[in-house]
Amino acid sequence: MPTLTIDNKSITVPDGTNVLEAAQRLGIVIPHFCYHEALGAVGACRLCAMMFEEGPVKGLQMACMVTAQDGMQISTLHPEAQELRSHVIEWMMLNHPHDCPVCDEGGECQLQDMTIAGGHGRRRYAGKKRTWINQDLGPFVVQEMNRCIQCYRCVRTYQDYCGGDDFGVMGSRNRLFFGRFQPGKLESPFSGNLVDVCPTGVFTDKTFRFKTRYWDIEEAPAVCPHCSLGCTVIPGARYRELQRVRAGVNRQTNGFFICDRSRFGYGYANHRERIRQPNCQGAATSWREALEHLKERLGKVVNEYGPLSVAIVGSPRSSLECQALLREWTREHGYRPPLFEIDNRRDRTARILAAGLGKQARSMAEIADSDCLVMLGSDPLNEAPLLALAIRQAVRNGCHVTCLDPRAVKLPCAASHLPVQPEQLLPAINGLVANRFEEFERQDQLFLEGAAERLGRAERPVLVGGGDLLGPEGTEALLKAARSLNAGLFVTLGGPNSYGGALLSEDGPDSEEMIEAALEGEIKALFCIEADPLTEGPARSARALGQLELLVVCDHMVNRTARSADIFLPTTAPPEAAGTYINNEGRMLPFGGAYAPGLPLRDIGEGGHPPRTFSNITTGGEPRPAWAILATLLQRPLDFDSIHHGLESDPHFAGLGLLSPGGEGRRVTDAGMLPPAAQPEFPHSAPEGSLPLLVVEALFGTEPLSSLSPALEPVIPEAAVQLHPTTAARLGISDGETVSLRTELEHLRLTARTEAEMVPGLLVAYRLRGTPLELLPVGKITPCLLEKGGNDA
Amino acid sequence: MNDYPQILFKNRVVGETAFIDRFRANGGYQGLEKGLREMTPQEITATVKASGLRGRGGAGFPTGVKWSFFPADQPVEKFLVINGDEMEPGTYKDRQLLLADPHQLIEGVILSAFALQVSHAYIFIRYAYEECSRNLEQAIAEAKEAGYLGRDILGTGWDLEIHLHRSAGRYILGEETAQLNGIEGVRPNPRSKPPFPAAKGLWGKPTNVNNIETIACIPHIITGGPGWFINLGITQGGVGTKLFGLSGHLNRTECFELPVGIPLREVVETFGGGVRNGKGFKACLPGGASTPFLTAQHLDTPMDFEPLEQLDSRFGTAGVTVFDETTCMVGATLNLIRFFARESCGWCTPCRDGLSFVQWILEEIEAGRGNRDQIAMLKDQKKNITGRSFCALAEGAMGPLDGLLRHFEQELEDHVKLGRCPFGD
Amino acid sequence: METVNQTTGKDVLLPDDTIEAFRAKAADTPHPRELIVDLLRAIQDHHGWVPDAGIELAAQTLGLSPLQLEEIATFYDKIYRQPVGRKVIHLCDSICCWTTGGEQVAELLRDKLGIGFGETTPDGVFTLLPTCCLGACGDAPAMMIGLTTYGRLTAEKIDTILREIRQQID
Repeated sequence: MPTLTIDNKSITVPDGTNVLEAAQRLGIVIPHFCYHEALGAVGACRLCAMMFEEGPVKGLQMACMVTAQDGMQISTLHPEAQELRSHVIEWMMLNHPHDCPVCDEGGECQLQDMTIAGGHGRRRYAGKKRTWINQDLGPFVVQEMNRCIQCYRCVRTYQDYCGGDDFGVMGSRNRLFFGRFQPGKLESPFSGNLVDVCPTGVFTDKTFRFKTRYWDIEEAPAVCPHCSLGCTVIPGARYRELQRVRAGVNRQTNGFFICDRSRFGYGYANHRERIRQPNCQGAATSWREALEHLKERLGKVVNEYGPLSVAIVGSPRSSLECQALLREWTREHGYRPPLFEIDNRRDRTARILAAGLGKQARSMAEIADSDCLVMLGSDPLNEAPLLALAIRQAVRNGCHVTCLDPRAVKLPCAASHLPVQPEQLLPAINGLVANRFEEFERQDQLFLEGAAERLGRAERPVLVGGGDLLGPEGTEALLKAARSLNAGLFVTLGGPNSYGGALLSEDGPDSEEMIEAALEGEIKALFCIEADPLTEGPARSARALGQLELLVVCDHMVNRTARSADIFLPTTAPPEAAGTYINNEGRMLPFGGAYAPGLPLRDIGEGGHPPRTFSNITTGGEPRPAWAILATLLQRPLDFDSIHHGLESDPHFAGLGLLSPGGEGRRVTDAGMLPPAAQPEFPHSAPEGSLPLLVVEALFGTEPLSSLSPALEPVIPEAAVQLHPTTAARLGISDGETVSLRTELEHLRLTARTEAEMVPGLLVAYRLRGTPLELLPVGKITPCLLEKGGNDA
Repeated sequence: MNDYPQILFKNRVVGETAFIDRFRANGGYQGLEKGLREMTPQEITATVKASGLRGRGGAGFPTGVKWSFFPADQPVEKFLVINGDEMEPGTYKDRQLLLADPHQLIEGVILSAFALQVSHAYIFIRYAYEECSRNLEQAIAEAKEAGYLGRDILGTGWDLEIHLHRSAGRYILGEETAQLNGIEGVRPNPRSKPPFPAAKGLWGKPTNVNNIETIACIPHIITGGPGWFINLGITQGGVGTKLFGLSGHLNRTECFELPVGIPLREVVETFGGGVRNGKGFKACLPGGASTPFLTAQHLDTPMDFEPLEQLDSRFGTAGVTVFDETTCMVGATLNLIRFFARESCGWCTPCRDGLSFVQWILEEIEAGRGNRDQIAMLKDQKKNITGRSFCALAEGAMGPLDGLLRHFEQELEDHVKLGRCPFGD
Repeated sequence: METVNQTTGKDVLLPDDTIEAFRAKAADTPHPRELIVDLLRAIQDHHGWVPDAGIELAAQTLGLSPLQLEEIATFYDKIYRQPVGRKVIHLCDSICCWTTGGEQVAELLRDKLGIGFGETTPDGVFTLLPTCCLGACGDAPAMMIGLTTYGRLTAEKIDTILREIRQQID
């Protein structure tokens, strides 16, 4: 822990800290471009010069390239240092266009700030400027190469950090081009990070182009709602339109980066079909009337059938505040205990994980620091993209990755992949503990023994599981394995707040039990809070819901269940209100609302000028946070802070009140409870000649919110069924051919895609929204018949 | 004409190449036999260290010292790289060596590789030296045939393979870490030091990089002994002989092997035959494009590392480029800066953009559009580029600018005053 | 130099057996990237220059992405990523050639060939490019045509060289 002095201020820093970082810790801002905390120091820009006056290093040095040592006395204000900085800026500005007035980066441009800070104000170069022809980089990122100052951050982010190989630096000397071999879409699912890391306007967000100046945008630190990892994001809105999302910094979760789904999947909040007004039987009404109507109808049901005839389905999309009030509401009125996940498999998986994770919990930062990772049923790029980046960082530090999965799991780093049948995951997990793999073929045994051996040798091993494929049994086995191997555990879950719901569920009934009760006619009123049982629930949900007397839906997106609601109450979208999510490692992550809901001005104005109508209420401003609706029903004051702080009376959430949005969050201390024993499943007899179909998540097109984002339309994959070439050959099907796929309930036509790296004998399809595939349960095997052609569909 | 001892050029017949028969007939591979049969690797390194040999590639770092930093005794994969990216303007000595006597280098490589206990050596040859590459290919094949390369060389139990890497242009590849990147097939930007190649070089493994002429000296040091080698130099502290490549406005622009410490005047007048067309001597680059100009007042300086450093110039590669009295030194400097700006790899700002800026200022002045502020700007550019760049390229580029500002500032003034080049047509 | 496949009549970038040899070498080394410069030079030797398809072929042969090849190809000035004539003239413009009349030689070449730097003669024979120091400083002014260096250039000498090359090609 060396102690050094910078500008007469002393600081002690951890070993290995560089002097630029030490100065930052002192709050001394020194212009720099190539240094980035996540990317490290490379000494290219030559801007962070400081004068080393006393100590082991002397003279003018680039602070990022010098490791802090005891006794260093450093001046950042030395005239030579200042002179060099102003020169470096002058050199960088030789070719930089003076297009700030039309540049999207204006106002949040580091180059603007550093030019001023660096002391360069007068142009002395009067020669020609170098100019480039830009490339079309696809739907997300705009390139304007003339603005480039060659800090190399983009290529270090794209290639080194994210593992992309289709974007880089070409040419040399002062003719460097940062782009692709040929124009075209950036292939990395992390391409949007170029926008954040570029210190000037070379790479800007295409979806945000020419919309808003930085100083006009409303932003707040938030938590990404599109998977269970809890990445910190900063949504930004103007004129009631969510206009962009950029990465926030959380060194425990996402670090500095986010995936493209997180960044460009925000369009759901502005969706034109979003219902923004309360309605009863499809007719728009006021909040007052809707709530009156609700009380009246609910009172009737309770009077007639008793409080147990009222059931509640919450959701992993809801904030912890909403979920907690939901539980309180059911308790106060004696309704059925709430469910927080209608998908029984996901519900039980989350509850088993929350009950047992304890000390085995690991963060993404700890995954990046692991020396041995074994992945079981986890496909990070499709299920939880930032996990793939954490794994890549571990590999860059020498970690070995083993992946057991039926799918052709692609990672942005080296990994040993063994394709296994879904039902082989459980024996593989148990085998890792006992180091016995009798059920496997000899060659696979050797592979698994190698993995077990590496796990045993590792100092910081982590087992990484995908909750969807593992299911409750697999998760339980993995928990046991982690404990017995003294390994860390990291299991991805269904939604951003699955863990919170799991904690609050306690030992309450599971969704199977509720559906059965509904089918028996025991449930007469159902409340769905940001939940869509008709899509996410089992196939019998439709029949169960058909028996209701009252269906109330509170949501901010249109879906099957919302369309069938007797009473619909609009809720705010995640960036429109404050709340808390608990991510898949049990980390409480509060978020702030960036803006108040309302119909975007661009929709109201319809191109008119000026684009506004006059009214003393916000058009489309009716949506309320789900917690506020529940607080109203509970006759509690509509005060977020008191509800948020009130959560601490539950020991699970101790310390929550100390957390603030944008911080690192804190892991819950208390474990959840196991769900009641599962009801035995009656195995369906699969029809003759059927094949097992595994429906899984994809990066784009399957997650419910981002699937509504128009920006993602160009990247949504085709509806396809993947199968091993040998399986295809057996069926006489070739790659790219249209096939007919029949399940018990659905019949669809898809494109067949052969995939040599997946397990033979299995069919895999993405659960694409807006196609019949979205009705098939994720992670479970559905028997189906697959044939060539399918013209008869 | 050249009565000085000819060591590196002893087999040289201009227009011919000595292959293995002639090489061996003249005592070739005797150093190798001695080194491998009679000496330990440590003894070879100690001998090289005792000889005081300094690197011939331009920087002049003591070779034996460099070797002693190398983890020769560690049982890990390690590499020897021979730097044949001779691209500093004014420098063409390694080419002469390889055209005349490729086996001399091969013998040196084998001895050095043995001393450093490496089993893979890479010889990096620039694009323009295809004949040299072909000579080396033949020499490597002959050496292999003769049992000097391959497995269990001379019964030592030690193996060596020599790989030839043909490059595809760019001066920056002469920088040792950029060269390692070039061999690896990644973008040849220099790497940051530390870690030095001796710790983390080719593919992250310990690597020693030496110039061709340096390695060619090794067999002679082993056969002749360090005392003999030291005595070849004629200045106090001057060691060995050096290949001098003469160019520019001289009557004889050839490559000569001369003792280290020979006075510049003797080089220019005796070997270069004096300035051509009876013109007067104005200046010279003493050791390649990156070494600050010397003027007529420096003609009695011994050509050796220390004496030239005392004049704020450098011995460099001993490629001596002479300018006669009619030369516009602003134009000459512009030509040199243009070279460096064009050969910048583009990694760091002072080199990538700073050199282009200097080039532009000099172009303005040379074209008669300059002003006095721009002369001041040249000074502040020099101050802020020198020592501030990532590698030595930009620093080298400031060598001639430094010489221009120290010795020929008046010429800059004259350009500004006249509004044209005073030497120009 | 065979650049057209006789049976298909198609322009080939590199003979199949050479590609296979590179593929085998790539499979044999832990770091196939070290073959990039060799492979690009092989394609250029065979095809005259490296077109986009050459970058793609090299990438595919070495198991890399085209971008990874392009990053290297565009760094080196002696890898031609644009069409060139059958012979490329690299005229040295560095200091030693500058002192010995390099600029006049440049003028001569432009006149004799009727093209500027970066251009190719209409008959497709010569492309004229400037180059940095060729390491022929003792023989300045110098140029390199293909891989052959010519020094101590004079108007007559240049005439002879260009004439002889044209004759060889015909």
